[in-house]
Amino acid sequence: MLRKDINELLTRTGPGTPMGELFRQYWIPALLAEELPDNDCPPVRVKLLSERMVAFRDSEGRYGLVDEFCAHRGASLWFGRNEGSGLRCPYHGWKYDVTGQCIEVPSEADNSSFCQNVQLTSYPLVRIGDVLWTYMGDRATQPPLPEFEWVHVPPEQTYTSKRWQQCNWLQAFEGGIDSSHVTFLHSGGLKTDPLFRGAKGNEYNMKDTKPFFEVADSEGGLFVGARRNAEDGTYYWRITPYVMPAFTMVPPRGDHPVHGHFWVPIDDENCWTFSFDYHPVRPLTDTERQAMIDGHGVHSRNIPGTYRPMANMDNDYLIDREAQKRGETYSGVAGIAMQDASLQESMGPIVDRSKERLVPADSGIIKARQKLRKAAIALRDEGVTPPGVNPEHHKVRSAAVVLPQAESFLDSCRDAVKVTPGVPQASV
Amino acid sequence: MTTPTLQLSESARAASASESRYRIDAPIRPARSARVVALDEKAAAVARRLAAHPWAHARFYTGDGDARLRELDGAAALLDEVLTGTDVVVVLATEDGGRAAAAAIGRICGRRGITTAGVVLGDGFEADDAVAALRPYARVLLLSADEADAFELLTALRV
Repeated sequence: MLRKDINELLTRTGPGTPMGELFRQYWIPALLAEELPDNDCPPVRVKLLSERMVAFRDSEGRYGLVDEFCAHRGASLWFGRNEGSGLRCPYHGWKYDVTGQCIEVPSEADNSSFCQNVQLTSYPLVRIGDVLWTYMGDRATQPPLPEFEWVHVPPEQTYTSKRWQQCNWLQAFEGGIDSSHVTFLHSGGLKTDPLFRGAKGNEYNMKDTKPFFEVADSEGGLFVGARRNAEDGTYYWRITPYVMPAFTMVPPRGDHPVHGHFWVPIDDENCWTFSFDYHPVRPLTDTERQAMIDGHGVHSRNIPGTYRPMANMDNDYLIDREAQKRGETYSGVAGIAMQDASLQESMGPIVDRSKERLVPADSGIIKARQKLRKAAIALRDEGVTPPGVNPEHHKVRSAAVVLPQAESFLDSCRDAVKVTPGVPQASV
Repeated sequence: MTTPTLQLSESARAASASESRYRIDAPIRPARSARVVALDEKAAAVARRLAAHPWAHARFYTGDGDARLRELDGAAALLDEVLTGTDVVVVLATEDGGRAAAAAIGRICGRRGITTAGVVLGDGFEADDAVAALRPYARVLLLSADEADAFELLTALRV
């Protein structure tokens, strides 16, 4: 359980809130690069951390993320004309560049300096990999760009999708460090999903449904080790790294690509789940990439032209009780992503954690909440930069290994959980 | 011609903020009758600080290195009796000294189906032996430099 006041602190991310200020210390995914595919393409509405903005790509290919509303009369710049190195409000023709600086006010005299004093709030928007990243904090403390491996491998080795999740970011994120649900909720996927099946590690998962956990601090967040019995004298370990504030990686299976998530609050009752797959040393095969596009693995099939999953709360997630009876899915909902989302959304927009009954196996979640709370308060009260801002903290990997029972996963996997270019993931 | 109706699905309606008002609001009883056992001197100091907080049913003990326990006031306690009637044991350790006690607690808990959690406090994991001794039995091991994690764990478990 969590006190109501702490639950409030952790779940509210609007401007001026402690957790909102914490998120504003980091570069966070804002959009997929595919959403702004060309110079002068249509602008895109973006809401992050309870702030409404528009993103656009100007005639020179520069990306901008600016206040959604024209400074003149408050019309939405989503209707703007993206042309001639700026976004022009179609109402009265005011025009803004990618920094939010007003560069034309047609009603003013040609030599007027009026527009120089009109500046929309704007944030940097930078492409790294398939993702456009933004930093919504104080420019004076803007950290170096992110170094997550998934966005730095060559394009043919990586794939990223995103989906709208209709609940607070924290309850979505907590699923990412909750290894004990996999054996139940995702048991069907271990047998059938083309991005999971066939790995030796799956057998350990299915044979031992009561994993033991070890949770340890890392520089940027946590490592959560889930341990199951393997052959005599050995344990099968699945190691999940968490990098603050909201990045996790799923331990790999066989030579399948490695996947993970970055959760980003849209507002307090909605979030984006950015989901990725990559392979550290080889291109994704056509079959793998198509499976990701088709919504297998951690990805979702979205309604064309949107990032809303086809299975969503408005159609009861297309729950199929017959497939559940046949053993194809554990909950009746198809797909790893929507199996998670359906249950997380069912908790309500912001779950009341004062009603929970946690068990020791939830220690990863307990510890992550503690780290977030401490970091938010240290930032608010003392200006302390939180873990995970330093790009060195991003250079982590998940791992799946079989170790002698006496060995510590932390000691034995020091290299396995670090990014080493050219070296494949540690996987079983 | 039919008029389209805007009808929320069962899931959409149930997950709305307005429906949250109708959740049954029954008081939650403490879930756990916990025993907290400190395995070494530094851990005992942590246990004393923890014990100063109000808990529902949690009881606190120190180990003396060879599987005998004491109440925080120094009175001897038999491990077998301490573990009677509990469903979770949280073991605190900061160094290797408590290996024997850790193993004894772990064995009995394993036999009786008592969930065991270990909180190992320290930088650089000075308590490697204690961790190794607890590993076969502890459903969860929390390795931490932050004493507050023990408090947070007990709070979350409603002990």
